Amino acid sequence: MSEPGALAFMRRLREGLDSGLELPEALGRGAVALPGEARDTLEHVLRRLEGDNEDDEWGFDEDFADLVEPFFGFLYDRWWRVKVEGAHRVPAHGRVLLVSNHAGILPWDATMISVALLREHPLPRHPRFLVLNWAFDLPWISAFIRKVGGVVASPYNALRLLEQDHLVAVFPEGVKGTGKPFAERYRLQRFGRGGFVEIALRAGAPIVPVAVVGSEEIYPKLGDLPAVARALGAPFFPVTPTFPWLGPLGAVPLPSKWRIEFCEPIATAHYGPDAASDRGLVLELTDQVRETVQQAVYANLVRRGAAFV
Amino acid sequence: MEADTVVHNSIVRQPGPGMSARAMHDINVIGSLQLLSACGQAPTIRAIVIRGSAGIYGAEPHAPQFFGEEMTRLFPLRTRFQRDVAEIENYFETYSRRHPDITCTMLRYQPAIGPSLATQITRYLSQPACPTYLGFDPRIQLVHEDDALDSLVAAIRRPVRGAVNVAARGTIGLARMIRMAHRPLLPIAGPLFGPIVGAGRRVGLDSYSDDFRRLLRYGRGVDIGRLEGELGHRPRYSTVEAVRQWAAA
Repeated sequence: MSEPGALAFMRRLREGLDSGLELPEALGRGAVALPGEARDTLEHVLRRLEGDNEDDEWGFDEDFADLVEPFFGFLYDRWWRVKVEGAHRVPAHGRVLLVSNHAGILPWDATMISVALLREHPLPRHPRFLVLNWAFDLPWISAFIRKVGGVVASPYNALRLLEQDHLVAVFPEGVKGTGKPFAERYRLQRFGRGGFVEIALRAGAPIVPVAVVGSEEIYPKLGDLPAVARALGAPFFPVTPTFPWLGPLGAVPLPSKWRIEFCEPIATAHYGPDAASDRGLVLELTDQVRETVQQAVYANLVRRGAAFV
Repeated sequence: MEADTVVHNSIVRQPGPGMSARAMHDINVIGSLQLLSACGQAPTIRAIVIRGSAGIYGAEPHAPQFFGEEMTRLFPLRTRFQRDVAEIENYFETYSRRHPDITCTMLRYQPAIGPSLATQITRYLSQPACPTYLGFDPRIQLVHEDDALDSLVAAIRRPVRGAVNVAARGTIGLARMIRMAHRPLLPIAGPLFGPIVGAGRRVGLDSYSDDFRRLLRYGRGVDIGRLEGELGHRPRYSTVEAVRQWAAA
């Protein structure tokens, strides 16, 4: 998919939406502008949105996730030119908790971590994500997120997924990370109260710190419109150089250059599940993970060089 | 012969035609209260089993995918039915504390489905078209009628204290469930859903309780570890199998 193709697609999608079509139909119209392969994929996806499918108790639909992969693959290869380090450090089997920094308003970083693991890991598997709660109150988005492996950010969900030996990704900065202004980029926010460490301890899952560089530049957040956010029930309403000025086009992320580093796993099984109630240990591990991610972010920032070229 | 176990099986889940919310409240709450006080006067009773509802957890966008028995207080009680069920559970819990010699079991049932049942969910799936919330595909968890009955039998044979969730294994997406019932989906935008199904009721279609509407929007799952481990009943049907069997019948 060439970049002019992508632009033509977005333009036609916009026209379709403006003329009052439903989103799926508008996507179908827009697809005419795409090259054959991408068009096939998109049509396949639209068919499957209505067709029968197999999924697990969480609503994760592996076929669906594989079908939308080419779209994220395009972003991964061409748009953000992602470089990955240390994917082999993620254990290939059993329960694992990935802990990453979080930025960029929409959860693109989660999707890129997923593609990175599927592409670079010797034994790839689909990670599951804990997704910000308010997304599950939104039409389409809630259904889509579930199909690709997202679950409500609840400690009960994280624990159950780990007990089922899944690969689980969490973003402890939460909305503090996605909603911070551009000037504070790459400075990690507080990692909650360490709830993710408690869960890892209780499940005996190793923690793999993940540093993502590049996600901070995709939507440089210049300001915030709290009144609009309140009206929409959203945690914040960002103002970026393109949003909301260009309408839906403003949601197209800028093509920054990305690096993702998976750090050495931190074992937790030897502490035993009772250690989850040891506040001192939990805070200590939380700080250790946060510090690891922060250092890896700085190191990769230097290695990446210029943000966009 | 003396009775040693009482099973309360007549909590109304949805007001029938001509039944007011008030009448439903009377039957559910006051009726359960009277039953419990009657049990207090029967000295041979050793166990009381109530067939309650997983509706007590509600249906919430931010809920954990699977409610454990201890998670009734994560969210406020939003509907009248939820408040009624919570009230019954509170009385029952107090009663259980005051009568330590009686084993009080509260079974929290997910909606049941099966060829011999006429429940809200089977009526919903039998309509000419099934209204859904546009853009939402919630995870629904049901229980097959055979498993519903067997769980009740298991609770009578081996009474345990406190609440136990009763449901089939796994969940199913609402859209897939409707497709398996060979019905067309009728997606309706959120704000129009209430008025449209309300108009449907006036022309004689099935009415939707607030609980059922929230279920259609957000879905609900429960954890059945206690049912399998402590009551010792492993459900024979998964949710998908229960729907498939119902659709084939």
